[in-house]
Parts: sequence; structure tokens; C-alpha cells
Amino acid sequence: MLDTLGQYETEIWQAIGETFVMVGVSILAAVLIGLPVGTLLFLCRKGNMLENRFLFSTFNLLVNTIRSFPFLLLVVFLIPFTRFIIGTAIGTIAATVPLSIIAIAHYARLVEQSLLDVPKGVIEAAISMGASVKEVIFKFVYVEARSGLVLGLTTSIISFISYSTIMGVVGGGGIGDFAIRYGYQQFKTELMIYVIIIMVILVQIIQFIGTNLSRIIDKR
Amino acid sequence: MLKLDRVSKSFSTFQAVKSVSLTINQGEIHGIIGASGAGKSTLLRLMNLLEVPDEGEVEINGQQLTSMNSKKLRQVRKSLGMIFQHFNLVANKTVYDNVVIPLELANYPRAERRSRVMECLQFVGLDSLMDKYPAQLSGGQKQRVAIARALANKPQVLLCDEPTSALDPSTTADILTVLENINKSLGVTIVIVSHEMEVIRSICNRVTVMADGEIYDTVKCKPTGILNKENSPKYFVEQLTKDVEIDHA
Ligand SMILES: Nc1ncnc2c1ncn2[C@@H]1O[C@H](COP(=O)(O)OP(=O)(O)O)[C@@H](O)[C@H]1O
Ligand SMILES: [Mg+2]
Repeated sequence: MLDTLGQYETEIWQAIGETFVMVGVSILAAVLIGLPVGTLLFLCRKGNMLENRFLFSTFNLLVNTIRSFPFLLLVVFLIPFTRFIIGTAIGTIAATVPLSIIAIAHYARLVEQSLLDVPKGVIEAAISMGASVKEVIFKFVYVEARSGLVLGLTTSIISFISYSTIMGVVGGGGIGDFAIRYGYQQFKTELMIYVIIIMVILVQIIQFIGTNLSRIIDKR
Repeated sequence: MLKLDRVSKSFSTFQAVKSVSLTINQGEIHGIIGASGAGKSTLLRLMNLLEVPDEGEVEINGQQLTSMNSKKLRQVRKSLGMIFQHFNLVANKTVYDNVVIPLELANYPRAERRSRVMECLQFVGLDSLMDKYPAQLSGGQKQRVAIARALANKPQVLLCDEPTSALDPSTTADILTVLENINKSLGVTIVIVSHEMEVIRSICNRVTVMADGEIYDTVKCKPTGILNKENSPKYFVEQLTKDVEIDHA
């Protein structure tokens, strides 16, 4: 087994690198855009600070639609959009576009749910102190919801890794694609097993870090 | 100094407050009492526009809250403290960090924040617990933190919604003593909502009785003083067996 591995060392490292790029960009998109979108969903919901039926329904529908697409179809469906943004729909960088879109929708929903768990009374106290919407979010809501936000991101990252494994269809590469091309199509089962082991270890590590971090920062 | 003029508030079709007018005078401890669901909390929350009235006006020191833009309203809220039955502290912040929040919101000079927080914590007798989190405190201690937080910006008025209803009798007496102190030594006007007659009678100078969203009557009264309730097991047993043949089961 180690022989076969040695033989494919460069390819494996390259595949791992591609996976890191795809998942890394997804995480960035989730935090930079998914977090604000989830917060907006929370704020616009009925009875909340910026109650707005139109905005809420629009974003709610958008998030639901993206999340209900079978991911493979979403990738294909987004090809024209990806080409428009990146210039090509093929390759690792192009693959980050559909991944980021699903990442945003995925994390936004988890963010919304975490924020809804913050006790209404805390928000009321904040408003009674004269806090603005921005201050309520940053000084109260995010502080109270932080362990949920971390756990949600952990779950999301693990999903992103899973989504990234099918990006071979648009030449995105990554270890999922490596396992299929070399392990499955060239009948080198041990390579496939090796990749699965890498993935299992990776997911364990991420879950371990996420669970512990969320516990450490939870003082409730 | 605080005036409600024919304020009404409905939740969908239910009218919780029906055209109520009420004036709170500078320096008084004003009680609001009534049965559950009478509209006491809603009336209190109308005073800082936590509930926006459907009709009527809210005025503080001659400024009309109901016609203010949101920025001005936030400014006014900083001079109105509020405490709640369930304390509503930020559980992920320490005692110190909870009390410093209103100072941050008010852009209080950075260098003076610490001493102001300590001053407020000393006032409620909690300066030694500044690094604890709310989950590590008793109910009475949590309410003291909430009081310190409400005092940080030197409010003119302190609005209290059932501040002792989650506390045992002896802790209730402690908290009432703190509130009375705030009124006497800091000159803060206090509005206190409670369904407990004893709480209201002990410290209020004037009491509004509410029923079905309306004011039934407002009466002047002489505070009876805070009875220092005992908390010892011996006291509980005495109370339980008073007037009864002693029978230790
Ligand atoms: N946000 C709300 N939505 C719907 N109904 C409410 C809301 N707040 C209060 N109510 C109703 O208004 C009435 C008065 O409530 P409240 O002011 O809390 O009474 P009290 O504090 O005297 O017990 C109650 O019947 C309550 O169910
Ligand atoms: Mg109430």
C-alpha cells in the first residue's frame, strides 16, 4: 500500500491543496457573507428589530431554494454565472463559486437559528439601555450566541468538505476527485481507502476543535 | 417629570392598556400594582417606548418621546435605567463587563470607565465578584448586577418590572433596601411594578392600582418600611408550625 502511495505522492498533495482552497474559500464566504445574511434574516423576522416582511421573505426563499437544489445540479445550473464571474467554469478557482453560494446559504440558516436562541429579555435590556441595532447585534446578540455560531460553522465546514468532493465534475480537483479518478476508475482500492481515512481524520479534528472551542467560550 | 397622556397599546385585537394618563413626580417611588395581565408591564414599557403606544403621548422632562427620531430616543433611554424580573444580564460577559456596557454605549470617557463601574458595584455591594459570570451568582446577586448596570449612566429614572418576583423574601428585602437607597441617596425617581402588595407598601410613596388595562385609582401612601425577613431554617419551621400543634413529622 505504501508503495502505491509513494507513487502518487505529488498528486495526493496537489489534491489536498485543491481541497484546502475550495473549503477555505467556502469558509470565508460563509463568515463574510453568510453571517451577515443570517443576521439580516434574524433582524427582519416578525417581531424583531428590523421587521420587514419583504426582505425576510426574499432572503428566506433564496436560502431555501439554494439549499433545496441537489448540489450537483446547482453546480451545473451555476456554470454560466461562474463563467461570468471568473471567466471560466472549469478548475479549482471556478469550483469555489458554487461552493461559496451553498456555503453562504448553509451558514446563514444556522446563524439565524443561533441568534433566535438568544433570550428576548437580553435584547430588550439592550434596547432599554439605548443601544442601536448595530450595538445590539455586536455587544449583545453575537456575544450570547457565540458558541452556537462556532458549532454551526463547524457543522458547515464539514459539509463544505463533503460538497467539495464532487467538484471533479467541473475540474475542481481535490481529494474526492483524486479518490474517484485513481482509486475507483483505475481500480486502486487502497488509494480510495487511504483518502477516506484522511477525510475521517480531518473531520474528527475539525469537530474536536469546534466542540471544545464552543464549550470554552460558553459561560451561560 | 414623566408623563403618560392617554396612552393605549393593543396586541393584535387585545387592548392591554386603554387610554391611560399618569404622571410620575420627580424623586418619588411610584408603585404600580394589579393582578396578572392587568397591563402593568406594558404600561412600564411604554414609559421608555420599549412598547410604542398606538395612541397618546409619553413625555419626559417636557420632551416628547413619541415624536422623537430613533437617535434622539436612544439618547433619552440612556438616562432611564431599567431592571427586570429575570435580570436579563449578558450571560457570556463577566459582572464587570455587564456593568461597563452602558458606559460604552454612552461613549463615557475610556479612562474613567473602570472607576465608574467599581463605584456602581460597590454601591450594590458586589465589587468583590466583578470577575464572575452571571451563572455563578445567586438570583439576588444577579439583580444587584442588573441594578449596577442600570445605574452606570446616572439615570434620572429607574424603571423596575417585578424586580423581586423571582427572589425569596429575605433577598427581596435586600433588593428593596438597595432600591430605597438609590432613591434616597442618589435622588433617582423610581417606578416599580409588582403584583406583591407587601413589596409595594414597603417603599412606595404613591401607588397606581391597575385593572384590565386601566387605572383603577392612584393613592398616596406612607411607606411601611422594609421588613427584614429571616431566611434561616429555624424561621421557616417557626412560621410553618405557628398556631398549630407542633408535630415534627
Ligand atoms: N408582546 C405581547 N404580545 C401579545 N400580548 C401581550 C404582549 N405583551 C403583553 N400582552 C398581553 O397584554 C396583557 C397585559 O400584559 P402585561 O402588561 O404583561 O400584564 P402584567 O404585567 O400586569 O401581568 C396580557 O393579557 C398579556 O397577555
Ligand atoms: Mg408583568
